[in-house]
Amino acid sequence: MDLDDGRRGNFRRFLVVSAMLHLGLAAIFAFSPGMPQMSAPMGVISVDLVAAPTRAAPAPRARPKPAPAPAPTPAPVKPAPKPPVPEKRVLPKETTAPKPTPRAKREEIPPEAVTRPETPEQEYSDVLDKLRSEAGEEQAPPAEPEQVAAVAPAGGGGTGRPVSPEVADWMRRARIHVRRSWVVPPGFRLQSLATVVDVELDSGGNLLGEPEIVKRSGNPWYDDGVLRSIRKASPLPAPPEAGVWNFVFVSDESS
Amino acid sequence: MRIRQSPIPLALLLALAMPAAAQERPAVIVDPGRKQAYDVAVQRFAERSTSPRPPGTEKFREELGRALEYSGAFQLVNPRAFLGPEVTDSLEKPIVCGDWSQIGADALVQGELARDPQLLTADFRVWDPSRCKSLIHKRYRQPASSDPSLLAKRIADDVVEAFLGVRGVSSTDIAFVSNRRGNAEIFVMGADGSGQRAATANRSINNFPSWSPDGDSIIYTSYRQANRPLLFLSSRGKGRPGRLLPRLPAERAEYRGVWSPKGDRIALVLSEQGAAEIYSSRPDGSDLRQLTKHRGIDVSPTFSPEGSRIAFVSDRSGVPQVYLMSASGGEPKRLTFQGGYNTNPVWSPDGQWIAYESRVGGQFDIWLIDPDGSTNVPVVAHPRNDEGPSWAPNGRMLAFSSKRFGRAEICVVDIGGEKVRRLTQGAGDNTAPSWGPFPR
Repeated sequence: MDLDDGRRGNFRRFLVVSAMLHLGLAAIFAFSPGMPQMSAPMGVISVDLVAAPTRAAPAPRARPKPAPAPAPTPAPVKPAPKPPVPEKRVLPKETTAPKPTPRAKREEIPPEAVTRPETPEQEYSDVLDKLRSEAGEEQAPPAEPEQVAAVAPAGGGGTGRPVSPEVADWMRRARIHVRRSWVVPPGFRLQSLATVVDVELDSGGNLLGEPEIVKRSGNPWYDDGVLRSIRKASPLPAPPEAGVWNFVFVSDESS
Repeated sequence: MRIRQSPIPLALLLALAMPAAAQERPAVIVDPGRKQAYDVAVQRFAERSTSPRPPGTEKFREELGRALEYSGAFQLVNPRAFLGPEVTDSLEKPIVCGDWSQIGADALVQGELARDPQLLTADFRVWDPSRCKSLIHKRYRQPASSDPSLLAKRIADDVVEAFLGVRGVSSTDIAFVSNRRGNAEIFVMGADGSGQRAATANRSINNFPSWSPDGDSIIYTSYRQANRPLLFLSSRGKGRPGRLLPRLPAERAEYRGVWSPKGDRIALVLSEQGAAEIYSSRPDGSDLRQLTKHRGIDVSPTFSPEGSRIAFVSDRSGVPQVYLMSASGGEPKRLTFQGGYNTNPVWSPDGQWIAYESRVGGQFDIWLIDPDGSTNVPVVAHPRNDEGPSWAPNGRMLAFSSKRFGRAEICVVDIGGEKVRRLTQGAGDNTAPSWGPFPR
């Protein structure tokens, strides 16, 4: 390097000051009594974990079929070679449906493309589901506060805000309780629907007045079912405090 | 099976979870649990007969209950658990809603059944006890000589509609092909498999039944004349039974006729000198138009619900695949790319899906694909063949033929693929179901 003495001196001073500042900061972090508190959970940042319990929930068991296959990639259709002129075809003598006789090599789906046996995950889910069922779902695996299906009302630009362990625990129990009253017929489960409801509860969990839909799903029968489930669920587990609580009923288990 | 058309994104959930009233509190996200069926209490209908032959109210309740359970969306509350009256007292009096909500009933069905020498009348009411609200108050009448179970099914289908927004299908019929009497004849049965009866008895080969939109007639393909397949009509209404398209030239084989949803056109396959092409015509055979023209084989047409498009099967790519084209013809667009043998497409009544059979691992399964090809999922898969799907008119169930029980049997399944129910058993092979429309 070709630096003059003055610039070298300045550079050395900068290095010394920088090193001292770093050491000082390290000492503050190392000996500060506040540090352990910072690493302990002050609350749950729930947004990232909104789907945690949902995803942990077992997949629907009665799935005697393979998992949905990925949508086909519509590769451009190759101009297939013209098949030879087919022979004269008549209705089959048997009652089987007439299937066009392929004239070219058939491209079979590899057996693994459609998984017939259930995946290990599905089997595990089955076991979990069975256990939950036997336990009436009340014995759902004890959720860590992080696992609570809670969404902090935005504010944080989608990052949510902390939920106290007490609130998180009540939310977990309220979810399980309401879920037991909620009937979701098969047809609704195939759609992506969400209804948002404000529910006013007294300190004992009793429903006060009528639940109010603040965001409709677009399917009035689904919305009716949501309201029905809340009425049936009353009283809910006693909330941490009386007042209006917000529920989102989603039809898609893996949302 | 999960059919996820547009999964609810996290951002939407967050947006939904911000109501003004609960700004400071987090939202509880509730996802579906196990309960898929509403608990329904069905009172025994009060009997108001002037006929010496009472209609049998207990049997009527059982039939109504079975029809409700057929939907998959209801399960019956045991009458012994009732806190309210077990028999309908009066349809004019309000119910004590607490009696029914306390036992967990999501719905209460009550009614009166009357038979006079001419008519059987069912007057019924459906309640939502949790809201203490009457959802339906309706009356059905039919000739006194007819089967009371038809009334029970109509009522059940109305209850389904009140809770799901789509009408139940227990009162509909399914046509199918059976060789239980030796040769392949067209049969008809209730959607629950009841009342199986022959619609043809010509001792020939009959296949591919397809209902007219008004439910009065069935088009089918038969060898009953001229030793080649021709389209015929079996009618229980105003249609004239017999050859469907008498104006068509006689030298061609014609088969697989299907009505357009409005009933103004018929799509069919005409085969001549080895080439099978899709045509359409008026129901009397006039205005015949050729829709496909290719050296390959084009078969199995099915109309979209609005009638503007046709899906069909062609082997023009070398293997049978499903294609789409305008109902007036034009350049087809290939829809299926997965699998080497895809056939028998049927368009759902809501237009969202095309069910078809696909050969996977050596046997056929039933798959669903949406008309833009972006979602392609199996509905039923079994080591033995599942073939010939047909949509229920409410678009929530499929009938198909399955060999999972040994011989081919007609089964139904909800489109979630979760409940396969067998409708035929022990009598020949039963194939090619065609689910009829709602009764008028």
